[in-house]
Amino acid sequence: MTDRQQAELRKDEVEAGTTTGLASPSVDVASGRQNSLWSDAWDSLKRNVLFWIGSVLAVLFILLALLPGLFARGADPDDCALGNSLDKPSAQHWFGFDQQGCDYMATVVYGARNSLIIGVLAVLFVLVLGVVMGAIAGYFGGATDSLLSRVTDIFYALPLVLGALVLLRVGPTTNIPIINKPGPAAVALALALFGWMTAMRLVRSQVIAVKSADYVAAARAMGASHRRILVRHILPNAVAPVLVYATITIGVLIAAEATLTYLGVGLQRPTHSWGLQIEAGQSLLRTAPHLVLFPSLILTLTVMAFILMGDALRDALDPRQRA
Amino acid sequence: MGRYIARRLLLTIPVLIGASFLIFAMVFALPGDPVAALGGDRSLPPAVEAQIRDEFNLNDPLLVQYGKYVGNLVQGDLGIDFSQRPVIDTIEQRLPVTVRLAVVAILFEAIIGIVAGVLAGIRRNGFLDNVVLVSTTLIVSIPILVLAFVAQFVFGLQLGWFPISGTSEGWGSFLLPGLVLAAGSLAYVARLTRTSVAENMRADYVRTAKAKGLPRSRVIIRHTLRNSLIPVVTFIGADIGALMGGAIVTESVFNLPGIGRAVFDAINNQEGAVVVGIVTLMVFFFIFFNLIVDVLYAVLDPRIRYD
Amino acid sequence: MKFTQRSAALIASGLAGAMLLSACGGDDDGGSGASGDGSFSIYIGEPQNPLLPGNTAESEGNQVLDSLFTGLVRYDADAQVQFTGVAESIESEDSTTWTVTLNDGWTFHDGSAVDAQSFVDAWNYTAYSPNAQQNSYFFSNIAGYDDLQAPTDAEGNITGDPVASELSGLRVVDDLTFEVELSAPYAQWPTTTGYTAFFPLPPAFFDDPAAFGEQPIGNGPFQAEEPFVPGAGGGITLTRFDDYAGDEPANAGSVEYRVYTEVDTAYTDLQGGSVDIIDTLPPDALASAEAEFGDRFIETTYGDITSLSFPTYDERYADPRVRQAFSMAIDRQAISDAIFLGTRTPATSFISPVVNGFREDACDVCELNVEEANRLLDEAGFDRSQPVDLWFNAGAGHDAWMQAVGNQLRDNLDIEYVLRGDLPQAQILPLRREQGMTGPFRDAWIMDYPTPENFLGPLYSTAAIGGSNYTFYSNPEFDALLEEGNAAATDDEAIELYQQAEDILVRDMPSAPLFYRVNQGAHSERVDNVIIDAFGRIDAAAVTIAG
Repeated sequence: MTDRQQAELRKDEVEAGTTTGLASPSVDVASGRQNSLWSDAWDSLKRNVLFWIGSVLAVLFILLALLPGLFARGADPDDCALGNSLDKPSAQHWFGFDQQGCDYMATVVYGARNSLIIGVLAVLFVLVLGVVMGAIAGYFGGATDSLLSRVTDIFYALPLVLGALVLLRVGPTTNIPIINKPGPAAVALALALFGWMTAMRLVRSQVIAVKSADYVAAARAMGASHRRILVRHILPNAVAPVLVYATITIGVLIAAEATLTYLGVGLQRPTHSWGLQIEAGQSLLRTAPHLVLFPSLILTLTVMAFILMGDALRDALDPRQRA
Repeated sequence: MGRYIARRLLLTIPVLIGASFLIFAMVFALPGDPVAALGGDRSLPPAVEAQIRDEFNLNDPLLVQYGKYVGNLVQGDLGIDFSQRPVIDTIEQRLPVTVRLAVVAILFEAIIGIVAGVLAGIRRNGFLDNVVLVSTTLIVSIPILVLAFVAQFVFGLQLGWFPISGTSEGWGSFLLPGLVLAAGSLAYVARLTRTSVAENMRADYVRTAKAKGLPRSRVIIRHTLRNSLIPVVTFIGADIGALMGGAIVTESVFNLPGIGRAVFDAINNQEGAVVVGIVTLMVFFFIFFNLIVDVLYAVLDPRIRYD
Repeated sequence: MKFTQRSAALIASGLAGAMLLSACGGDDDGGSGASGDGSFSIYIGEPQNPLLPGNTAESEGNQVLDSLFTGLVRYDADAQVQFTGVAESIESEDSTTWTVTLNDGWTFHDGSAVDAQSFVDAWNYTAYSPNAQQNSYFFSNIAGYDDLQAPTDAEGNITGDPVASELSGLRVVDDLTFEVELSAPYAQWPTTTGYTAFFPLPPAFFDDPAAFGEQPIGNGPFQAEEPFVPGAGGGITLTRFDDYAGDEPANAGSVEYRVYTEVDTAYTDLQGGSVDIIDTLPPDALASAEAEFGDRFIETTYGDITSLSFPTYDERYADPRVRQAFSMAIDRQAISDAIFLGTRTPATSFISPVVNGFREDACDVCELNVEEANRLLDEAGFDRSQPVDLWFNAGAGHDAWMQAVGNQLRDNLDIEYVLRGDLPQAQILPLRREQGMTGPFRDAWIMDYPTPENFLGPLYSTAAIGGSNYTFYSNPEFDALLEEGNAAATDDEAIELYQQAEDILVRDMPSAPLFYRVNQGAHSERVDNVIIDAFGRIDAAAVTIAG
């Protein structure tokens, strides 16, 4: 790598930090041997306690989302009686009741599904947008790169929550598919549309870094198509940093969903969502603190699960970290 | 260097125009009728509504509206809101609040972040390192929404250490919201410093300094820290621009009349001129500080040359 | 409810009398002595508009304007009209042409006289559509109003200038007398003239309306000595107007209106003693506030109504039996207790209890009756397999109670529901206008003036379609009774006819009355004699500073 490219990479790392809030997802694998990289990484992961904590939490969270009935202790989140409104946690009802008089444990448990759907969907959207744009910009360079980089700059300059906020406000009245139907898919797409830029830059810098490598030049000399070179030879090198980024970003986006819902543009009642529950409980913080406590706790644990895993993965994949 | 800055400045123009058009198009694509909502649950007489709509060019096609907007913008006129108040006045009034909030947040993230990062980095895998690792993970995992309520509830209400909200206590009012706003970045600064310090502690020149028998504190401060802080300083610079946008939730929860809250209210009231004006300003700050960061990078790190 | 309010008002006025006496004797017992120059503070939400009487429709701005201006008549805590304002009398023989006689000696804060011209000019300005004043419609029943409205085409674009710039129905007779000719008889017209829109304006206003909006020059008990900028997040301090001509001048030296965006913050400040009066309590504090503040806790009924309105244009809700069934499936008391924590009382009429003419038993289908509701629904052949859309505007705190309504429809009628609360007011209003509601929707009305007509005509008359009649309900019988009521010779006759009109509404149920709002406020130990009226306004002039 040239100094210039190295500088760009480091700058991307720094900017990635501003959006993901924690890990610099860039992993310098361009020079490493792929096989030993992954097996070394696994060895290192196995010894990392934080990774295991994160994994257990994540598995638990996914189970909550897939089989909420198992965890709701037999309660139906839609079976509500105003007479039970705001009752405190008890032996029968561990989380107490919400204002509508619904069993709170059931509603909180059922909230996991929407968070998971939105987190995963949004990351998928982000990856598709980011990988395609980044690969094209990095591989073809020149005017294409300039144009796509400027577009990225434009989106980058708009804060994620702000952009998604406006889009979701406009959404229901436009003809844009998905966005015009309020629900998890619309929220995920809105988050992705204003959150793909870091993925794009990551992929772009990885592609630039690898593009001039000998084996790529060899493939080109043998007459391989652009597409084949990109897909078979260049992109696999970007997998590691993108994986780190995606894991952390699931957590970040789940938190962003809660924020959007809290601000009134995400999911709507009577859907079960942690953002909605926090929003509803907020005004009753003094009299019924359990309403904010439980969804906040579970939301935090979920976000933490993905950040712990991503963080551990980054450490494991980054040869610089190993002394 | 001069040519590089000039080129970067030129590049900001399409970004600024693109971002403002993007937000303008979204805001004005809103098919709702902001004028109709002015009367609340009650209808205004049709002629009165028509008059207001006319005054705000709401009947023109999108591109014409945007053209008129940019035309006025170039002359320093950001337009007026529905209560006839110039948007520039709103910004002038609100910006100082957000700037104060950002300054407090930046100070927190720089001071606490760097100190924690250095402590963790000089002895990797030591006790302090693990404390910093775990606590930073914890902090970034708490959504800012949750963090704001917890901070307000515990430090403002229960312990009474800080004013709960508002700006009546001067700089003191900004401590708690500043800390909340800074939390995520603070953790990142700590992490970045830790990695950077740890890396440099192993560098040849530090070994040489140690071998020369220089005192430990001198090695850390003069040799390690100076080099380790390059990425940290640039991150903090870039973060100033990003913080402006992150202020929406913090300002709402802590009742701070800054531009973050102004833009949120304006989105809900469909005050297009206010939304576009403030967002354009945020974009400008973001680009401006990123430019400074790039230049700083070149200045701080002699290995990098732009031209 | 009515009785307690009246007695509260009596006690309050008794206190004021006692206070005046004690001030004369220099005696200061009971901690409620008048103090000349003390200052106190009142919480308000953020006013959105400049402080112009003709352009202020929101409660925040109204609160401030109410301290700065005094209209022709005033309302007491019980929403009854009192001739303690500028008017000496407002009389008519035919309920159409009214003669307004003013008291002598009133001046604006800048010294100019409050005369007949200052009312007529103000009203003409507000009514004239190119001035784009939100309160313009208050003058729509004055002769010649239509001539002041610019013509518009089908798309709502202005196609020309209004024919006239002055209402033909307003005639200045002399300095202290003017005549008002209405386009149709309206026996209760004098009751309307205490509202903000009817305040007089001094000549200074017409020189520079914008500057006036920042620092209004009124004729009320307090004056503004500094500019106020809405949306800036600050507040405004008003000082006592020493030349106030009314009977009830300000007791305190000054009042500070302090702007908060979060009522929680204001409440905490009240507990800490840094703000003196708040007229809204955060949901959190409702359970504990009464015990905490004791006799400093204030509770009054607000002149409003919240309803679940039906799109009568939608086939599914065209049958009145369906609408009555929905009304009877909602347990208003349970929602009021659990969701509103007692800040609402169940509605039993289309009219607010603060208004003369309210009947506690007007609506017999406004109570929970699950059996009857199901019977009616079957009779009407309602399709229960399709979910019901429930509409309300986003971001205004309606989510919780609308969800509770939905849950009750599900429990009591076995109908699933979908909440359509994702559109803000700016987007939902045009939909309501274009008959776009696909199910019952939240409807609310805050009275402009305390008459039964104000709760009926603007919401359910055929003439109000295109205005605030979003149900598109139209019944000639109802319209006729309203008109008769308006033309009645006496208040009592009018009320009788309005009640007959209301009975028709109960039968047709274009909208299910749900709740009346209860104002709950509290004040610090520093102040006394805090009265919140039926408009939710604190009478700042009456407030005294203790000790």
